[in-house]
Amino acid sequence: MSRTTDVIVVGSGLGGLMAALAAARQGREVRIISEGTGCLAIGTGCVDLLGYAPDGASVEDPWAAMAELAPAHPYSLLGAEKVREGLDALTETTARHGLVLRPASRDGKPRNTRVPTIMGTLKPTYLMPDTFEPDDLGKAKRVLVASVMGFRDCRPALVIDQLRRYPDWANKEYFPCLIPTPFDDAHRALNALDLARAAERPGGSEWLIGSLKERAEGCDLVLMPPICGRHAGSPLARELREALGCPVVEMLSIPPGVGGLRIRDALMRELAALGVELVENANVIGAGVAEGKCLSLDISSTGRNYATKARAYVLATGGILGGGVLLEPGRAIERVFGLDLALPADVAEWTEPEIFGSQAVSKVGVRVDDKLRPLDANGALALENVFFAGRSLGAHDPAVEKSGYGVALATGWQAGLAAAELAAAAHNTGEAATGGEQ
Amino acid sequence: MSVRVSPDKCIACTTCVVHCPVARVTPKFLGPRMIGPAYERFRLLGLAEDESLTYCANCKNCDITCPQGVPVSSINMLARAEHCKKHGTSMRDWVLAHGELQAKLLQLIPAALKNFGMLNPVTRKVLDMFGIDKRAPLPAFAPKTFRQMARKVEQPSLPRKVVFFPGCFVDVYDPQTGLDMIWAFNRAGYEVITPEKFGCCGLPMIANGFWQDSRRQAKRNLAEIARWRDQGIPVVTGCPSCALTFRQDLPEFFPDLVEKHGAGVLEDAQDFLLDCVDRGELELEDKAPGDLSLIYHAPCHLRAQGNGLPGLKLLQRLKGVSARNADAGCCGISGSYGFKKEKYDIAQEVGSELFHVVRESGADFATSECGTCRVQIQHGSGKKALHPVSILRARLEGRRPA
Ligand SMILES: Cc1cc2nc3c(=O)[nH]c(=O)nc-3n(C[C@H](O)[C@H](O)[C@H](O)COP(=O)(O)OP(=O)(O)OC[C@H]3O[C@@H](n4cnc5c(N)ncnc54)[C@H](O)[C@@H]3O)c2cc1C
Ligand code: SF4
Ligand code: SF4
Repeated sequence: MSRTTDVIVVGSGLGGLMAALAAARQGREVRIISEGTGCLAIGTGCVDLLGYAPDGASVEDPWAAMAELAPAHPYSLLGAEKVREGLDALTETTARHGLVLRPASRDGKPRNTRVPTIMGTLKPTYLMPDTFEPDDLGKAKRVLVASVMGFRDCRPALVIDQLRRYPDWANKEYFPCLIPTPFDDAHRALNALDLARAAERPGGSEWLIGSLKERAEGCDLVLMPPICGRHAGSPLARELREALGCPVVEMLSIPPGVGGLRIRDALMRELAALGVELVENANVIGAGVAEGKCLSLDISSTGRNYATKARAYVLATGGILGGGVLLEPGRAIERVFGLDLALPADVAEWTEPEIFGSQAVSKVGVRVDDKLRPLDANGALALENVFFAGRSLGAHDPAVEKSGYGVALATGWQAGLAAAELAAAAHNTGEAATGGEQ
Repeated sequence: MSVRVSPDKCIACTTCVVHCPVARVTPKFLGPRMIGPAYERFRLLGLAEDESLTYCANCKNCDITCPQGVPVSSINMLARAEHCKKHGTSMRDWVLAHGELQAKLLQLIPAALKNFGMLNPVTRKVLDMFGIDKRAPLPAFAPKTFRQMARKVEQPSLPRKVVFFPGCFVDVYDPQTGLDMIWAFNRAGYEVITPEKFGCCGLPMIANGFWQDSRRQAKRNLAEIARWRDQGIPVVTGCPSCALTFRQDLPEFFPDLVEKHGAGVLEDAQDFLLDCVDRGELELEDKAPGDLSLIYHAPCHLRAQGNGLPGLKLLQRLKGVSARNADAGCCGISGSYGFKKEKYDIAQEVGSELFHVVRESGADFATSECGTCRVQIQHGSGKKALHPVSILRARLEGRRPA
């Protein structure tokens, strides 16, 4: 593992996977180092781009709204065109593995859609699987809200009560229904992933179709939890739609993230085909740095430490939750390079009373230049061969503005391209790994 | 048990639940998050154990995927030890945990007779009644143990030395892999020492709840490793589970022993050989006629070590070899787990995706570092499975692997 590679990507969330994909497509040798699996394992299958503007207004056209973001926001640093490149790379890749993601459009312009969640709320998102026809939501008059017996996360009665609060949804007719469970011997509460897997086993599609067919009679929309298969390209949602003769929409659900896993599945297959190396269960605890360059990363894993090297590095380590940002008494630091992250000196200002409001602490992250290279406290370039991507970046708040996957994929893609370019240049000038003994 | 792992790092994100192969195939298992960190809080309050704890296969996919670094499998194994201490263990589990000892007891009986005794339909039926599934692919005893055979190998006298930790699978069932290992190290310019003092790494005992026995093994092995380490001679193994046991389990479970003897690190033999190639000590001249296609399975206990897949890299450096990572998850066997009557079907179901990929691959051979993974792959897919170093040897010797 001391062997030098072209590009090392730290983190295997959406940011890291997109960076690895970009660099590998440029013909670079890529190694992903990751302590755990990122947010795709717990997120939905819909890609948020920008759901709410900085003033809290709901966004219809995310591309137009991007222009209004603060200059330090990752989208502002990249510009809309580069964001679009990342989005296209993702959709092209997932489509290759049978998962077509696309936005709704109005008057020929792509726009956000408000999708129901299993809590009965509506959440704005941008890309959705193509089994999902956004116009169907508005047109529907008779809605079957289905769940599965023994599946506690989704309760049709609750979903219906909550949906009725929205003017667009208040005047529909609703039919709650619980279909039989495919398990007769469960010792634990079932989750959506259990059911999505059961649906993919032999007899699974018969179970779904058989239990919904009669109940969906006369309905023009079926809302159900995300249980139509766990794999990218699972034909179940389409089969179900055809068999029932009406639109079927999978509601956005809580973890585990069936939809996110479908996206991850497609990306992992693509990366494997490109020969990208995945080093799992390895924790990057520090780095060797000299003269503004990263020379090596220090890894700790199951009782052993070692160093590993590349010609360029992408850090997609996530935020506080993912492990990329550490909160310490009175300050926040980036975990690998120990970069100091700007937070108000007074800890009381880190949060605000409104729990779902925009918290200073959730915007904390690495400050970067327009090539995504980290800046120090004075705004000067800190490291020239390191690029940051995803939730580890500051100046955005995915939970509030609904931009999580969007920022991760756009910055991941561009960071991967930049790292690949740097690594190729190092190759051409005959420069071995930046520094040190092998 | 005095050691405990704090469950408080768990943020209940369910990532481990997504990746646990046993939870995937049976809802009878509470799953890692619940049986590990969540239930640990009940245990600390003195509440009774949940019966489904026995379903944990100790495959460590939870540890591999947890973004917070919670050692879920260790919580489970400590709870199992505690439970066994209170409620006893079964004869069947004793048998499965002590393969090495049985081989020793049976040493005087010729392998053919031993195997006739163990593997004939009548015995299998008895074993089945006693909890070892009659369909399970119990490996056959080798005519001679690896260490008996290694003594007879005439190695060239070489200035550089390595110590080889065979692990019980190679020693008792699969000496050829050990001999191939000696060959490869000799070729790289290293004389191989195989000390008599080494015994089973203790993992089968940990996984089956025989805590004191595994402690005894640890004492002996750690003292022996320390002896070589202090002379500056590297100790290597070709078995990922042995390596992981020394790296992760022993320091977690027996910190006092590790403090006394120092860290007992076993280096990955494949990684070591790859370094030999990079240093110019081992030349990888592929002399075999014809191309060879391989489908590689990464053992979970190798993935858990955070060191990538050096065995696969080594094979990919051979000119005439194409080796593809099956990347199809756990094989299901988890040491002795898949031999147990109540677990056999679960283990086969866990491995089914891998078996499918191996069968569809059209490869000449399957390959994997772990001995029991190879047994399971062969059983589930029908394709012969070899250790990467055995394939390396065949190619460098200019022949087809056998
Ligand atoms: C529950 C939940 C659901 C969500 N659902 C959606 C959704 O449906 N749609 C949407 O658009 N957005 C969603 N988001 C937001 C979105 O998932 C994230 O903003 C985005 O995925 C972040 O990706 P990332 O790659 O930057 O980080 P992460 O996905 O957090 O990945 C970080 C990676 O880095 C690794 N890592 C961290 N530190 C180290 C280290 N020192 N050494 C080695 N590895 C390290 C971690 O193990 C992990 O693999 C959701 C978020 C959450 C929490
Ligand atoms: S060790 Fe394996 S079987 Fe046990 S809980 Fe973890 S992932 Fe599941
Ligand atoms: S992955 Fe880790 S943090 Fe998440 S639920 Fe499992 S043990 Fe807890």
